[in-house]
Formats: sequence, structure tokens, C-alpha cells
Amino acid sequence: MTVGLNEYLYLSAVLFAIGFLGVLVRKNTLIIYMCLELMLVASTVALVAFSRFNGTMDGNVFVFFILTVAAAEVAVGLAIIVALFRRRQTIEVGELNALKN
Amino acid sequence: MNPELIQAAADNPWMAIAPEIALAGLALLLLVAEIFLPKSKHGLVPSISVAGQLGILVGLLVNWNGASVGQPLFNGLLMPGAHTQFLRAFFVASSLLVSVLGVVALAKQKMPKVEFFVIVQVVSAAMMLLSQANHFVLMFVALETVTVGFYILVSYVRTNPLTLEAGLKYLITGALSSGLLLFGIVLLYGVAGNPTLPGSSADSMNFDALYGFLQANPGNFLASLGIVLVLSGVAFKIGAVPFQIWIPDVYQGAPTPVTAFLAVSSKAAGFAILLTLVNVFSPYAGLVATVIAIMAAATILFGNLAALTQHNVKRLLGLSGVSHAGYLLIGVLASLTVPVAASAIYFYLFAYLLASFAVFGVMTHVAGENDADQELDHYTDLAKTNPFLGGILAIGLGSLAGIPPLAGFMGKLLVFMTVFAAAGAPVGPLTAGCYYGLLGVAIVGVVISIYYYFGWIKAAYFDTWRAPLLEGETDPTPARTPVACWMRLTLGLLALASVVLGLYQGPVAGWLLLR
Repeated sequence: MTVGLNEYLYLSAVLFAIGFLGVLVRKNTLIIYMCLELMLVASTVALVAFSRFNGTMDGNVFVFFILTVAAAEVAVGLAIIVALFRRRQTIEVGELNALKN
Repeated sequence: MNPELIQAAADNPWMAIAPEIALAGLALLLLVAEIFLPKSKHGLVPSISVAGQLGILVGLLVNWNGASVGQPLFNGLLMPGAHTQFLRAFFVASSLLVSVLGVVALAKQKMPKVEFFVIVQVVSAAMMLLSQANHFVLMFVALETVTVGFYILVSYVRTNPLTLEAGLKYLITGALSSGLLLFGIVLLYGVAGNPTLPGSSADSMNFDALYGFLQANPGNFLASLGIVLVLSGVAFKIGAVPFQIWIPDVYQGAPTPVTAFLAVSSKAAGFAILLTLVNVFSPYAGLVATVIAIMAAATILFGNLAALTQHNVKRLLGLSGVSHAGYLLIGVLASLTVPVAASAIYFYLFAYLLASFAVFGVMTHVAGENDADQELDHYTDLAKTNPFLGGILAIGLGSLAGIPPLAGFMGKLLVFMTVFAAAGAPVGPLTAGCYYGLLGVAIVGVVISIYYYFGWIKAAYFDTWRAPLLEGETDPTPARTPVACWMRLTLGLLALASVVLGLYQGPVAGWLLLR
């Protein structure tokens, strides 16, 4: 069996779906954050596969931009999570409900 | 370094993005100033920031026709449009006003202050680039610069657990929407670059190439999916239903100037890129129109009904902002067939900027140390004890509600008129009745909004009975900040502009509508 474009796209769609559902279902902020990163990685898998199949380099170059952006997002995001944990002693989303009407 | 690369870099028209470079350069200058100025002179940094931004704004107004409209720059990454110069001035003005509010609001916190101004300016520069994007890579990077900057700004007061909670909520929903947007971009890139399909392009992330591809392949499934995902990612930025869940909590927890920044600049940037994308996706007008029409109706109804029950003024403004996004969305729908609708949307956003900053300016003076705690009750007697703030509040809220002699009314009128015109040539599966139905929903929404905006004005103007304080009880209302004279000038100008623009739209509307 040869692995073609479709197999990569299925893989990417499955990874994306796992990440998306994880964000919606899981309650621990760190796991949610991992699921968000999984969504970005799923996109890069599809991007590289498309880039190879279409014979253009744009997709490969875009992956570097995505990685850079994801790194910036993680740096800021983890800082927020750590600061929040110091103040509240929890990172369970169910317990973070102080903001309400 | 490779001499060819240096040559290629030198050939790029850097002067064409001089305003963006100036704003980001000013941000770097502030960082340098913080290092080299002695600690006692650090109070100068906000003044440098405000003065610098005023200079850039004046430069933009002097050079009003300076944008090279319709010419692709940087190998097609950027394409300044007819409204580019207006949007640049809009974002610089908004960043300037956020900085001014920041000076007042940050004085109540024990926080490092310089970074706030730096990040606001970098984010604004990214928004200016975003509004001219003509390529998915530039659009994604600019949008993420804005989003990551906002993560920091929303959780800026890191000693306040409410602010941090808002920051976390914005982080998760923001990253989720970026993921959706990115997957949409990847699908569009992949399908538009497929060499076996007609109209495919080697540079398929370019908006012009994508437009050509979509025109040659109507009804492609992957392209439709990509379009829906990209539109959802942008819908998050403007807070359209069903991507509005973050709005009330984040607006409440964020520092007040940041809430203003989110409400005005972030929304305007979202609409600028949405208008560009709707143009690119216009070969799939039926799909785009259906998605936008459903979102618009749900957004208007949800925003107004949810705002009815709010007692916290920041949540109230957030949810009413959702309904404003709804009115603008029906304008975006109209822009598919009536190009002048884009101008009406920008006029609306300008009126929204004037009114919002007037209201947020009053809020920064009424709020205490805890920014998240701003209840309607805190406005009791505002008009009696401080008639100036009371008057500004009434004009700002009146303009947001769309009361006739004010600018907000003209904005709504212009948008609704273009929708009325667009009903003459309905798109795809929509009928003229759908357009009239949306207008009906919008008018019902405006009527509901008058109720809650006037509830706020009533809180400020009419006496409400309050239990006398018992011994040992402290007054829950935070002490109001006295209004400095430069703040009086700013707020007075904003209110005056709202009135003048309502009575006489001549130059602004004339310039916008001729585009």
C-alpha cells in the first residue's frame, strides 16, 4: 500500500478532531493547552502533505511561521497559567468561575 | 548575507508601510527610554508614547492620499485598498486613546507601566498591516501578533485573580479560533494549489490567486469547508454568535483600557479582514451569504437579550458590543452586492469609536482599584456630583443606542440603508424577504438596546434609594478619580465629535462614500 495525500489528510483531520474535542471536553487547563497545540500540529501535517503534493514550497515555509507563532503563544500562555495558579491554587476550569454577573 | 537577498530587501517599498514602522519603532523607543531614563523620570514614558502617536496621526492626516491604492506590495503580501488610509488613522487614533485611558487606569495599580504602551502600539501596528493583508501568511502572522499581544494585555494586572481568569479564558478561546482559522487556510491552500484542478495557482495563499481558483471551481467541498472555517476564525474576533462565549467574562476581567481596545480596535480589525475575505470568497457568495445572515440574526438577538439582565457595566458593554457586531454583519452581507456598504460599515465603526471611548473614559474615572467590579449602582449620583462625566456618559451611551442627533444614529442609518438597497439583488439562496427580515430583527434589537442603555443613564441621573450605612460598614462604591484637565479636553472632544458628526457628516461620510 502506498501512502498518498488522502492518508495524510485523514491523519490530520483525526488529529484536529481529537484536539478540538479535547478542548471542549477536558477540564484541566494544561491538557486543554496541549489539545490546542495538537490542533496547530494537525494543520502543519496537512500543510506539508499539500505542499509536497502540489509541488510548491509555500506550505513548508508557512510551517515555520506557524511554529514561531505557536512558540510565542506557549510562552505567554504558560506564564498566564502559572500566574493564575499562584493566585488561585487551581487550574481546573470548573473552579475558575469567579467572573459572573 | 547573500547579496541577492539584500538587493531584494532593498527593492521592497518600505516607505509604503512607513506609518506601521513608525508606530512599532516608537514602541521600541519606549523600551530604550525605560532603560536609559533614571527611575524618577519614568513618568515621562507615557507622555512620549502619547506625543509620538499624536505625531503619527497628524502625519497620516497630512499625507491622506499617501497610500498606493490597488498596488500589490512586497510580492503581493500587502494590497492597500481604498480605505487603507482611513483604517490606519482609525487604529492609530484608537491606540492613542487607549494609551490616554491607560495613563488614568494604570495609576491605580502597582504594576510596571511601560510595557502596556509598548504592547498596545505593536498590536495596533499589526492591525494596520492586517487591514491591508492580501496573502494568508501575512494575515495569519498579523492576526496572531494581535492575539498574542491581547493575551498579555487582558491579563496585564497579574495581581488580580479576576484579570488572570479573564486572560486564561481569552487564551483558550483565542487559540481555539486560531486553530480553526489555520485549518481553514490550510484546506484552501491545498485545494487551490492542486495542479489537477482548473485555475490552480502555485501561489495559492495569495488572495487574488485564490479568487481566480474559486471562480473556476464552484461548489468544491474542501474549499467550502475551508471558507466556513476561516469565517468562523474571524467571527471569533468580532464576537459573532456562536463565537461570543468569551466576550462577557473577558470584557469584565480585563483592565478597562484593554476592554476599550478589544471593543473598538479588535472589532474593527476583524471587520476590515472580514470585508477583504468576503470579497475574495465572493464566487461562493451563496454559502458566505447564508453563513453571515444566520450569524447576524443570532448575534443581534443574543447580544441585546443577554445585555438586558447585566448589572456589571463592562459585561453590559461587551454584550451590547456583540449586538453592534450583528448590525455590522448585515452590512457585510450587503457589501456582497452593494460595494458602498463597506464605507457605511467604516462610518459606523468611526461613530462607535467616538462613543465607546467617551463611555470607557467615564468608566476609568468611576472605577476603583478592582477593575472587574464596576456595577450600575456605582453610577448613582454621578450627574449630580460630577455633571461633566454625567454629560459625557449620556452623549456616549445615546450615540451607542442610536438616538437621532448623534453619530451612532447616522452610522446605523447608513448601514440599514445599504441593506435596504442590497435587498433589490438578493444573493444565492437568500430572498429579498430575508434582507427585510434581518432589517426587522436589527430594528427590534435597537429598540431593546435603548432600554438597557437608558437604564445606565437613569442610574447616573436619577436618585435611587440606598440604605444608610451602619456603623462599621464601608461604602461599597469606589471613590471616583478626579478628572484631569487634559482628560476633560479628550472626553469633551470625543463627545463633541459625536454630536457634530451626527448633525453634519459632510467630510467624513463624503470621503468614505466616494470610495
